[in-house]
Amino acid sequence: MPQPADMVNVAFLTDSERELIMEVLRRDEELRRAEEQRVRRLKVELVDIKRKGAKRSSGRYSENSCGRCLQPLGRLSGTSQCKACKHPVCHNCRAERSKGSWVCSVCAKEADLKKCTGAWFYDQRVNRFSTAPGHDMVKTSLKKWAPSRKRETAGEVLLRSTELNPSQSTTPVPRPRLRDLPTSNKDLPDRVSEEPVHVKDQQQRSDTESAERTSLNSLRTDTESSLGTPVFPSKKSSGRSSPASSSMSSMNVPVKAESVHSSTSDGIHSSTSDGIHSSTSDGIHSSTSDGIQSAISGTTSSLSRRAPSPSTGFSSLEEDGLFKRSVRRSPKPSEFTSVLDLRGEVALTPDTCMGDRSKSVPGLNVPDDEEEDEDIDNLVSIHRKEVCSSMSNLRGSKSTLGSMMSIYSEAGDYDSVAVSGDVLFSVRYEDTVQSLDVLIKECHSLAHGDATRQRSNPYVKCYLLPDKSRMGKKKTSVKRNTVNPTYNETLKFSVSRSQVLTRCLQISVWHHDRLGRNAFLGEVEVPLGIRDLDAGQEECMVLVGKAHPMQSSAFSQYKGELVISLKYVSAKKPPVEKTKGRSLSLGKKTKTEEGGELHVLIKEAKNLTAMKAGGTSDSFVKGYLLPSKAKSTKRKTPVVKKTLNPHYDHTFVYKDLTPAQLREMYLELTVWDREAMSTNDFLGGVRLSTGAASLNVGNEEVEVDSTGDEVSLWQKMMQYPDSWAEGTLSLRSSMGKNKSK
Amino acid sequence: MFSAVSIMTDGDYDYLIKLLALGDSGVGKTTFLYRYTDNKFNPKFITTVGIDFREKRVVYTASGPNGTTGKTFKVHLQLWDTAGQERFRSLTTAFFRDAMGFLLMFDLTSQQSFLNVRNWMSQLQANAYCENPDIVLVGNKADLTDQREVQEKQAKELADKYGIPYFETSAATGSEVDKAVITLLDLVMKRMEQCVDKPPAEPANGGGATKLEDASPDQKKCAC
Repeated sequence: MPQPADMVNVAFLTDSERELIMEVLRRDEELRRAEEQRVRRLKVELVDIKRKGAKRSSGRYSENSCGRCLQPLGRLSGTSQCKACKHPVCHNCRAERSKGSWVCSVCAKEADLKKCTGAWFYDQRVNRFSTAPGHDMVKTSLKKWAPSRKRETAGEVLLRSTELNPSQSTTPVPRPRLRDLPTSNKDLPDRVSEEPVHVKDQQQRSDTESAERTSLNSLRTDTESSLGTPVFPSKKSSGRSSPASSSMSSMNVPVKAESVHSSTSDGIHSSTSDGIHSSTSDGIHSSTSDGIQSAISGTTSSLSRRAPSPSTGFSSLEEDGLFKRSVRRSPKPSEFTSVLDLRGEVALTPDTCMGDRSKSVPGLNVPDDEEEDEDIDNLVSIHRKEVCSSMSNLRGSKSTLGSMMSIYSEAGDYDSVAVSGDVLFSVRYEDTVQSLDVLIKECHSLAHGDATRQRSNPYVKCYLLPDKSRMGKKKTSVKRNTVNPTYNETLKFSVSRSQVLTRCLQISVWHHDRLGRNAFLGEVEVPLGIRDLDAGQEECMVLVGKAHPMQSSAFSQYKGELVISLKYVSAKKPPVEKTKGRSLSLGKKTKTEEGGELHVLIKEAKNLTAMKAGGTSDSFVKGYLLPSKAKSTKRKTPVVKKTLNPHYDHTFVYKDLTPAQLREMYLELTVWDREAMSTNDFLGGVRLSTGAASLNVGNEEVEVDSTGDEVSLWQKMMQYPDSWAEGTLSLRSSMGKNKSK
Repeated sequence: MFSAVSIMTDGDYDYLIKLLALGDSGVGKTTFLYRYTDNKFNPKFITTVGIDFREKRVVYTASGPNGTTGKTFKVHLQLWDTAGQERFRSLTTAFFRDAMGFLLMFDLTSQQSFLNVRNWMSQLQANAYCENPDIVLVGNKADLTDQREVQEKQAKELADKYGIPYFETSAATGSEVDKAVITLLDLVMKRMEQCVDKPPAEPANGGGATKLEDASPDQKKCAC
């Protein structure tokens, strides 16, 4: 059937655009599904009303009986014919229409339904769009499919057509290697701290324990999912008792399938990882077979989840509902009672509950106003943390770790606590509301945040890195005096799916101290690009200290490029040696004008990271000529809005510089996304200098880590004064550098 | 696994009404709808990629049989937001057919966007569910009085020519935003009544009794 929507061509869209649109369509699908069920329910009501007290052609009825309730009509019934169906109808079976006219209750109900179900609209639309040639022929076959076809929307068609094409599935496949890492550690920590056992014993034990936990977890999820739809209590029983059980069961599946699924993958996990680490075959066998079994049931159920076709499910349901209904109900047309068993079905399908999706527009999330002490530290340390993570993987040297710690000690109580324990959580992307749901379940064997009193008041905080803004922070409640807190709290991040893939979930655990500083108890970082965000499976990860080299590697990424030109404008007079003494008073206007000028032309940036909804950034470039604590070396370009490839064409001029001074300095250019209401987001940067050497600046020794292009561009500028040296530099994902005293 | 927070539970509404906003890029369709659904204003310009939609639950009071206030209904509004950019045109127009009413928007500070209203009208006539769908003409950004390029008289004349209501709204201040949407909703609801009250020959194809014969497999035909 050539419908306009069939011809929608999505080829011109980019992948990310398509992904965004798919998200919208999926939301639409949720709404549509809910609507379908509502319509189905309404139709059952109509059938019910029709069925009772209606004349059948097989029966013989008196002309003088009401066409609805079959009661004998009075003698004054001559005009009591329903306008629409021409049946004689008694007074009780009439429904008032506009301007004193009336129709019989069934016709009234029909009309109501036409409005409520939107049929009036689809009827009209069919008239318009079925004028294509040959539609008469199709029409007969169409009849059977009328409910689904007629109500078909562009979104539906588009969604179906896109989903059919497997090449477009952008859902990342989880990599087993990275998954093993956390799971292998999974069951260790709580044991470790409680009793020092031999490793082998532990592993053996952890097998059974993991099995136990798995079952526990699945139990928990079960109850949770039923808790999630508290609106309709007690539905399963009514669902089972219904003769419609065949279609019912398929409707039941989604919830079950999901919980099974999650526990399944859990089972597989522990079995594989255990299989690697321990030599006991006993535990492996049981857990493996278990896992597989549930895996099978998981797949079948998820298959059947897809199975119910709208039309077949529909009619059978309707008929069953029809026969099941009691005949005694009074046929009030306005009564919108719903059939009990259908209701159950509704409640069991999570898709049908309509969340407040209107809130889900990315980027418009409401800022939470709450504030806390440790935040300031955070804001300060954002930059520094990034520094460390990238440093460690750039260099991979152990010495960096020590220097990192010194950085952190400035920012907060990061290193006062020996990190221990783990966190049990799951991550799932909820398409309907466009939110990433992070379920923090519990932590085990945490360190004591308050060492003197041997206690912890832990809470969990999450960021979707690189967003460390206040708005991007989500926290659980504080649990008092425990090192094994149970939260079961879901933290929701309003973020589009395509954005999620570029993010890294940081889960940190903190000790809440009412008087003193909150103490850092450990953290994990979970890159989301390589995770299956739909399975929502639980994971237990060992907490690590700040800037663990293992964790950071996942976080350095391509940030785009910066195109700049450098020129050293030499002074009229050759630079004199005596200015050397003033090298630190740089930037301040000195009387000596002998030095030359450094011109830094910021031309453009390319492929910046999108920070704002809609996939853009409002960026600007900030420049510092260092080392100089003086504010005056700070330069900024204007903000270029709504582009990831901004053209700045802005020149920074640093005056009064000798080549010798310049040789001892470095230029830091950083690109930032302007945030009007909160801290600007770091988009990347470059550091230009003569080389990766440590510079002696005053009494401080600063190690500058300029790399290939950065060095060569700087040298080119030094080498050829009074001419532009242009270069395209890759942006660093962090501006980390080593400070050693 | 985590069920979405459901404030609106399924079926807890009487009508699902689908409206759609269209107009040139940058006239403020998204902010208009955001203002309407959340009563907030986002001054940032974020290009809509293709399509999007927002939702809102409203209570609609039907006018009763004799002009009295009749029943109240819960109406679930699905407000489609379309990209104004040309490159998404084929996609967005495909969605026109699914909407029951239209908010045709232009920017009061842009003469060009107003001139394009004509084009949008013909797009609608070609792609909507019927040739004369319910439309409300909306001139947005009324708060920017100093940058105004389209006079109220001009716009009003155009609206009159098409026989559609006209509103000057401001998503920034929220002025007239609700009114424009509610007016459109009212039009749609009225049309709905008309469609049902004057059935186009379809229910006449048999009395209730005969219809009942083949009710089960085929009853969608007559039930809806």
